[in-house]
Amino acid sequence: MSDQTASAPLLEMRGIGKSFPGVKALAGVNLRVRSGQVHALLGENGAGKSTLIKILSGAYTRDEGEIFVDGAKVDIRNPGDAERLGISTIYQEFNLAPNMTVAENIFLGHLPTKLGKVDWAQARQRARELLDSLNVSLPVDAITGRLSVAQQQMVEIAKALNRNTRILVMDEPSAVLSEQDIEQLFAVVRRLQAAGIGIIYISHRLKEIFEVADEVTVLKDGSYIDTRKVSEVNLDDLVRMMIGRDLADVYPKRSGTPGEVVLEVSQLAQAHLVKDVSFTVRAGEIIGFAGITGSGRTEVARVLFGADRATVGEMHLFGKPYRPRSPRDAIDRGVALVTEDRKRQGLLLKLQVFFNVTVAGLNRLTKLGLLQLGQEKALVAKWIENLRIKTPSPEFMVVNMSGGNQQKVVLARWLSLGIKVFILDEPTRGIDVGSKSEIYQIMADLADQGVAIIMISSELPEVLGMSDRVLVMRDGRIAADLGRSEATEERVMHYAVGRLDSV
Amino acid sequence: MSSALSPTIDRRAGIAKVLFGSPILGPLAALLMASIFFAIMSPRFLSGPNFSLILQQVMVVGVLAIGQTLVIITTGIDLSNGMVMALSGVLMASFAAQKGLNPVLAVALGLLVAVGFGLLNGALVTGVGLPAFIVTLGTMNIAYALTRIYTTSTVTGLPKSLTFLGDTFYLGGTAIAWGTVLMVVLYAITWFALRYTAAGRSVFAVGDNIEAARLSGINTKRVLMGVYAFAGLAYGIAALLLVARTGVGDPQAGQNSNLDSITAVVLGGTSLFGGRGSIVGTLIGALIVGVFRNGLQLMGVESTYQVLVTGILVIAAVSVDQLTHRK
Repeated sequence: MSDQTASAPLLEMRGIGKSFPGVKALAGVNLRVRSGQVHALLGENGAGKSTLIKILSGAYTRDEGEIFVDGAKVDIRNPGDAERLGISTIYQEFNLAPNMTVAENIFLGHLPTKLGKVDWAQARQRARELLDSLNVSLPVDAITGRLSVAQQQMVEIAKALNRNTRILVMDEPSAVLSEQDIEQLFAVVRRLQAAGIGIIYISHRLKEIFEVADEVTVLKDGSYIDTRKVSEVNLDDLVRMMIGRDLADVYPKRSGTPGEVVLEVSQLAQAHLVKDVSFTVRAGEIIGFAGITGSGRTEVARVLFGADRATVGEMHLFGKPYRPRSPRDAIDRGVALVTEDRKRQGLLLKLQVFFNVTVAGLNRLTKLGLLQLGQEKALVAKWIENLRIKTPSPEFMVVNMSGGNQQKVVLARWLSLGIKVFILDEPTRGIDVGSKSEIYQIMADLADQGVAIIMISSELPEVLGMSDRVLVMRDGRIAADLGRSEATEERVMHYAVGRLDSV
Repeated sequence: MSSALSPTIDRRAGIAKVLFGSPILGPLAALLMASIFFAIMSPRFLSGPNFSLILQQVMVVGVLAIGQTLVIITTGIDLSNGMVMALSGVLMASFAAQKGLNPVLAVALGLLVAVGFGLLNGALVTGVGLPAFIVTLGTMNIAYALTRIYTTSTVTGLPKSLTFLGDTFYLGGTAIAWGTVLMVVLYAITWFALRYTAAGRSVFAVGDNIEAARLSGINTKRVLMGVYAFAGLAYGIAALLLVARTGVGDPQAGQNSNLDSITAVVLGGTSLFGGRGSIVGTLIGALIVGVFRNGLQLMGVESTYQVLVTGILVIAAVSVDQLTHRK
């Protein structure tokens, strides 16, 4: 697809460096993207990917290094410069106006006019053409905020195309998508590639790199590690480049055998989302819930945690009837939930680390109506150390922390309460490989201490690597209950999408 | 990015840190600078009696602003407080002066009505899920109408026991009103509750992210009901201070008090987006307004220009806050 003749690459960044007061965020980073190439950018959280992307998109200005587009040296000082050079970035959090239509969003700030009036007919027509060119069927008059995340992403891509984008940066585009949506995303990426657009693709899901990218550049601690052809590396090579050790020790080995039944759920149903779900979890057991997004896994978790009420069904916790009416009830009975959406449902982002850690257990820190601040301080210090949370101080605002550290703050909140049943919904979403393996280790340690663990995950390797048993959900029901040895990636997938009714 | 963070760690050190992560250093500096300016401009500014007067001038809005601060921390806003105060004050005055009710019972009745309005606001916000702006816009009008329906004329001839908070005692030769002492005590109690109780923490949690707070085991509806009810109580106490200060029950009172209380809260560094705020900041904010009005008056500036300066102050204060918190 790409001509490797003498012609200059579409984009070349050479020796890029950037410092923030007291911190060297990037040093000597190189990146070369050719037309029609998908170039993966890899690195743990804090490796410098975002800083590099922000320099490219004009959000930051570089301190050192040079940038060339089509072989000509350019200076990118603000987002306008980047746009004029045909550089667009699609961030994880979309830049769309939720109450406007698809067409309005695609043309936001660039509406075609005729005699000073907006030419809506032309805008809608061109929006349709752009979406067609991506082979995406979306009504151009739909209200954007009502579309699915995957559809909104397509609107973002169409918006970028409308601005004559030649270099498209995609920041973890798959993190928010389900398996099928990812397939569609890849199809669109291939179309963009065929149209000669150079794509910089950031992802924490290493497997995707092999499916979608041609070349990969790895950063670590703000430094450039290497650029390789994807066809010449394997998963282990990438992990080694990123974290400096082997993948083999990502999933911890566990030896303990499960104990007594802790939680028993029978014939649970909730609205139209959960139907006839029954299962048990034992002490020290890790149950993996697999299935596609919308199959009812999160809804089951919310009922177990008292966040929603079950319509029918019975639950028993340690043999006693269990029917939580609120999260408080669940917490008081030793059940905790790590939510899927850390930022919207888990953390108090603008509040401090200590606040976030103790917010669920304030009643235990209260004596005669007063909070015991000294006791709280000691508790927080202990958990910062136990979970190796990287924070300058307990008073640090969590919004400024990396994804992995934020997740550890959430874990500390629940672990400090000494919970018995731990439900984790997508516990490693948007988290770098290094922190991931730490979180797996924490889960394994908890299981060894007799905590019953329910893990919901859309990442199959994680489900298979961590679980003692895998429950596959489909359309609100449990489609399969597989032991560790029976669960293979293929089988789980087949049950999840319903292509295999009898095996 | 975690790597780019370390420099900001110690931004809130010292006294601000003691005050529960509150950004009050800015407001405090503004208050000091304004005081120094007016001390230079007018020889009468820097005196015990003048400070005592400033405190008396701010005590009513200051106590209203206690309730307003809590409501704003939970991402709400309360437009009804001035009208609720007027209604509560008129009822206290009328029942004590005209209906011959025991003044203590008359005050209790007034407080009860104010708390009732707080509970109504809270119930509409939590139960029906209406925005606080709409709810309190409605209850503001309801309270105003009820006051006018009850009486359109000023209630006079109040018993001494209803206005004793306007009386003064001498401290080193300076006359200090009991009402200003009550205001300071209320601020101290609120500060203490926000910092040292689980309920106080919950107010901040609800303001930062109500869903995350609920999923952390906080009974968010109870917290909001508590905040609005407590705010109502503060408005009732403000009514008592107003009656004591003016010596009458005035159905026309409190018409601008809602915005004045919001001004104090905002000048004190509390974010209108919720989750971040400081009760001590609000006291400082109320004092800033008081110092400016008093100082300008001593310099012989017309009252219209005092309002002009207040407007500029609010915009300047929030701009500074925004710029320092922008990343």
